[in-house]
Amino acid sequence: MSNNKIIRFENLKKGFPEGNRIRHVLNGVSIGFDEGKFTALLGPSGSGKSTLLNLACGIEEPDAGDVYIKDVAITQLTDHDRTLFRRDNIGFIFQFFNLIPTLTVLENIILPQELAGKKRRDIESAAIELLDKVGLADRRDTFPDRLSGGEQQRVAICRALAHDPWLVLADEPTGNLDSKTGVIVMDLLLKLTSEAGKTLIMATHSPQVVTLADRVFRVQSSTLVEDVEHVPAARPQFIEDA
Amino acid sequence: MIEPTSTSLWPLLMTSMRRATRRPFQYVLFVLGVALGVAMMVSVDLANGSATKAFQLSTDAITGRATHRLVSGPGGIDQELYVQLRRELGYTNSAPLVDGYVNIPEFGDQPFRLFGVDPFAEPPFRSYLGGVGAGDGGPGQFNPNALTTFLSEPNSLFVLSSLAAENGIPLGGEITLDRAGEMTTVTIAGLLDPQDESNQRALSGIVFADISTAQEILRMQGKLTTIDLIIEDEADQAAIEAILPDGVRLENTAASSNAIQQMTAAFELNLTALSLLALLVGMFLIYNTVTFSVVQRRPMFAILRCLGVTGGQLFQLILVEAVILSLLGSLIGLVLGVILGRSLIVLITQTINSFYFVVNVRSVIVDPWSLGKGVFFGVAAALIASFFPALEAYRTTPGSGLRRSTLESKVEGLLPKLFGAWIILCAIGAGLLALPGRNLIVAFAGLFAILIGFALVTPPVTVTLMNWAVRPMNALFGAIGRMAPRDITRSLSRTSVAIAALMTAVSVIVGVSIMIGSFRGTVVQWLDQTLQADIFISPTSATANRVEGSLNPEVVSALTEWEGVTASSTARVVQVFSPQFDRPITVAGVNGDVSQGQRPYAWLPDGWDHDDVWNALATGDGVILSEPLVLREELSYPPEPITLETNQGAVDFPVVAVMYDYSSDQGMIWMGSDNYQAKWNDTEISTIALFIDENGNPDDMVDDMRRTFAGRQDLVINSNRSLRETSIDIFDQTFAITSALRLLATIVAFIGVLSALMSLQLERKRELGVLRATGMTLRQMWQLSFLETGLMGLVAGLIAIPTGFVLAWVLIYVINVRSFGWTLQMDLQPAYFLQALAVALVAALLAAIYPSFKLGQMIIASAIRSD
Repeated sequence: MSNNKIIRFENLKKGFPEGNRIRHVLNGVSIGFDEGKFTALLGPSGSGKSTLLNLACGIEEPDAGDVYIKDVAITQLTDHDRTLFRRDNIGFIFQFFNLIPTLTVLENIILPQELAGKKRRDIESAAIELLDKVGLADRRDTFPDRLSGGEQQRVAICRALAHDPWLVLADEPTGNLDSKTGVIVMDLLLKLTSEAGKTLIMATHSPQVVTLADRVFRVQSSTLVEDVEHVPAARPQFIEDA
Repeated sequence: MIEPTSTSLWPLLMTSMRRATRRPFQYVLFVLGVALGVAMMVSVDLANGSATKAFQLSTDAITGRATHRLVSGPGGIDQELYVQLRRELGYTNSAPLVDGYVNIPEFGDQPFRLFGVDPFAEPPFRSYLGGVGAGDGGPGQFNPNALTTFLSEPNSLFVLSSLAAENGIPLGGEITLDRAGEMTTVTIAGLLDPQDESNQRALSGIVFADISTAQEILRMQGKLTTIDLIIEDEADQAAIEAILPDGVRLENTAASSNAIQQMTAAFELNLTALSLLALLVGMFLIYNTVTFSVVQRRPMFAILRCLGVTGGQLFQLILVEAVILSLLGSLIGLVLGVILGRSLIVLITQTINSFYFVVNVRSVIVDPWSLGKGVFFGVAAALIASFFPALEAYRTTPGSGLRRSTLESKVEGLLPKLFGAWIILCAIGAGLLALPGRNLIVAFAGLFAILIGFALVTPPVTVTLMNWAVRPMNALFGAIGRMAPRDITRSLSRTSVAIAALMTAVSVIVGVSIMIGSFRGTVVQWLDQTLQADIFISPTSATANRVEGSLNPEVVSALTEWEGVTASSTARVVQVFSPQFDRPITVAGVNGDVSQGQRPYAWLPDGWDHDDVWNALATGDGVILSEPLVLREELSYPPEPITLETNQGAVDFPVVAVMYDYSSDQGMIWMGSDNYQAKWNDTEISTIALFIDENGNPDDMVDDMRRTFAGRQDLVINSNRSLRETSIDIFDQTFAITSALRLLATIVAFIGVLSALMSLQLERKRELGVLRATGMTLRQMWQLSFLETGLMGLVAGLIAIPTGFVLAWVLIYVINVRSFGWTLQMDLQPAYFLQALAVALVAALLAAIYPSFKLGQMIIASAIRSD
C-alpha cells in the first residue's frame, strides 16, 4: 500500500466475544485514506463501520494490526499519548450527539481545548464564530437538554471542529435526525470541513450522503471494499444562513 | 367480562436474578448495608444481653429456690439470727450465706464471687453441690469424700470443673484468693460439673467455700451476708419479721435482682440508640441502591407494562427483592454481629463492673430473640428504604421511559418541601426534647427526628452550595472544576442521599466527640478540684472504679502516723438500702474533705459555705447528696431528708448540700464517719487520703509505702497525679465502646458513598466515554472524580458541623442528664469540627479510588455505545 496515505490501516483485525465464540468484525483490513478528502463508509448495522472509526481515533484497540495517522502508529502509543494525540488532531461526531449535559453549548464546544489547557478567553471567540456559522450563536449559554436533536448535532459538529483538527470522524451523524434536519446538518458538516480542507471519514447509511463522498468503501465480510465506480456528485448549494 | 387471571412474580424475579448475576456489585452493596446495620444492632444487643444474662444466671444460681432473703447493712447479719430462726422458729427452709468478691490470679482478670455455704442447709435451695465429682466418680457423680474434705479441711474450695481444667488447675491443686489485697491460698477440694449449659455458665463466675472459710477470707467472722428463705405463706413471713433486729430486713429475691438490673438500663439504651444509628445510615445506602436499580430498569419496566405486567406487580417485585436481599444481608449481619459482640462484651463488662455491679461474663450468649430481632429490623429497614423506589416502579406507565432526568426534576421539585420537612422535624424534635420528665426513649425520638430533619435538608443545601461552588471551582480547575459541582447537582437524587448518609455518620462523630470531650474536660476539672490530697490508698478491688473490702486497721494506723504525713482523711464506702428509693445506695462515711474546700456544689442552703457543710457532716447534723442522686430520684430543691436503713432501723438524714459527682450515675451520699459508725456499727475503713509535708515527695513516699506493705496487704497506693491518670484511664476505657460504634457508623457511611459513586459512574459511563473520546486524559478523569467526591465530602462535612453541634447539645444537656444525671460543661474545640471535615473528605476521597480505577479500565468505544 502506498505510504503517502495520511491514514493507514495495516492488517487490522478486531473481534467481539459473543457467548463462547468471537465474532470477527474486521479481519485483516489494510487500507489508506487521502488527506483533505471525504470518505464514506457504507455497510449494514453491525458490519464494523463504527468499529473502524473507533480504531481510527484510538478509542478502541485492535486485536492485531496497526493504525498509522500521519506516520504515527497510534496503536503503539500509550493510552495517555493516544488521548493527547486525539485531542490535538481528531474531531469526533457521534450519532447520539453526546453533549455533556452539565456544560452549556459554548462550554461543550471549547471543552477539548480547555482540557488541553487553553485559556477560555483565548478560545471563546473562535467557538462563538463557529456557533454563528451553524446558526446557534444566541444559544451559547443554553444547556443541551434545551436544544432539539438537530441543534444538538450542530453543537456537536462545532465541538468536533473547534480545536481545528485536520481529521474529522463522524459516526452516522444524521442517523438520529429526521431527514430534513439531517440534510441541514450534513450540509453544514460538509461545508465546514471542506472549507477548512479537513479529512472527513464518515460512517453512514444515507445514499444521498454517499453520492457526495470523494471515495466510498463498503464493509463486506469483515473487510473493506472500495466502490471503484463511484463518481462524486456535485455538492449542493450550502445553506447561506447556516 | 374479563376474569382476573392469577399472576406470578416468578418471571419478573427471573429478570432480577439475571440482573444480579450481571451487576452483582449493586446487590452486594445492598446486602452490605443491611449486614453492617444488623451486625451493629445484634452485637450491641448480644453484648448487653450476655451481660444481663450472666448477671441473671449468677443471681439465679445463688438465689436458687429462695423466695426471700434476710439482708442487712455493711456490717452483715449476726449469725446468731440464723440460729434463732432454726431453733426458736424451727424454720428449716433457711440457709446462711456469706459472699463477696475476690480475684483469682490463676483464673484470669475477671472478678469471682466467693460463696460461703452450709452444705447441709443447701439442698432445699440449690442442688449444685449434689454434682460434686472428685475426678474419680465421673462427671455429675456425687462424691462424699469431696464433701468431707470441703467441710473438714479449712480453706477448701469447690470450683467449676471446666474452669479448673481451662486454667490447668487439677483437683487438689492450690489457687490464691485475693480479697482486698489480702491473699489466701486455698485448695480445690471438689469440681462442680453441672450437666446443663446454663448452670455451667452461671457457676463459671462463682467459687464455693464452707461458710467458716468464707467468713475468714472475707473478714466476716460471726457474720452472714444473707440468710436465704423459702417462705410459702404470710404467717411464716410475719413470724420471721417479728424477730428481726433493727438493720435487718426481709426482701423479695426477684424484686431486688430486678432493681440491680435496672441500674444499667440507661447505659444499655444509650448503646442501643447508637447501634440504631448505624441501621439508619444503612437505610440511606439501601435507598440509594434500590432507587438506582429502579431507575436503571425503567425502560424494561415500561416494556413489561406494555406486555401486561401491572404497576402493583412491579411494586411487589421491588419489595420482594428487598426482602430476599435483606434476609441475606441480615444473615450475614447476624454472623458479623456475633463476632463483633465478642469484642463489645469485653468493653461493656468493663463499664458495668466499673460503674454498676460486678458481673463475670465469659462468653457471648447467642440469644435467638436477639438474632430474630436483628433479622426483623434488617428486613423492616430494607422495606422502608425500598418503599419509595418501589412506588416509582409502580408508577411506570407503558409509554413512559422515565429516566434519570425525570427523576432529577422530581427531586428538584421536592427541594422546598425538604426544607419545610427539616423545619417541621426539628420543631417536633425540639418539642419531644422539651417534654417534662426523664423519659429517655422520648428524648432519643426527639434526637432522631432532628437528625433525620438535617438529613432531609441535605439536598437543598447541596444545591445551594454547589451553585456557589461553580465559579471558584472554574477559576481553580477550569472546565473540570466547572463540571464537578454541576455533576453533583444534576445527579442530586443519588449524590444527596450519599451526602446525607455521610453527613449523618460524621455528625454523630462530631456530636459524640464533643460530648465525650466535654465530659472528659468536666471530669478532669472536677478531679482537679476534688482531689487535693497527695496520696490515696485503698485495698485492691475486683473492679476498677469501686472499692470492695476494707483496709487492715494496722495498715491505717501505720499510714496516718507515717513520717511526713501532716493530715489524713478516711472514708468507708458501702452499699446501704434506702427504703425511700427501694434500692441500695452508695454511702461514704468520711472524716474530712479531700478537696480542702474546692469542691463545687450544685446546691447549698442559703448563706452556707463549704465549712458550714462539713461542720454539719462532722457533727452528724446532715448528709451531702450527689447530683445524679437528686436527678435520678427527681428530688426537689432544697431536698427533703433522706431515709436510709441503719442498724437502728430506718433513719432520716437531713440534706445539707448537693455536690457534683462523676464517680457514679446511681447517686451517692456522704456523711460524717462518726455518724456512719454510730448508725451501722461499722468501724472499717475503705480508703485513706494523706496530705504530706510540703517538702515531701509524694512519689518517693508512695514507693516507700509499697515496699513497707509488700506481703502484708496488697494495696493500691497512688500519688495524686497517678490517681488522676488512673481515673481518666477508666473514663477513656468506659467510652471505648462508643468510639468503636462511631467507627462502624462511619464505615457504613463510607460504603454508602462508595455505592453512590459506583452507581453514578455506571450511569455516566457513556458521558465519561465521550469525555475520554474528546480528549480527557485518564488523569483528568481521576481529577474530575476526586473533585466530585471531594465536594460531596466537603458538603457532608459542612452540614455535619451544625448537625453535630445540635447532636452534642442534645446529648449533653438532655440525654446525658436523663441517663446519668451529670451536669457537663460543653467544651467546643475547633478540632472537633476540623475532624468532621477531615473525616468526611477522606472518606469521600477514599470512596472515589475504586470507581475511578474501574473507570480507568473502561473501553471508551463500548462506554459510548452503552446506554
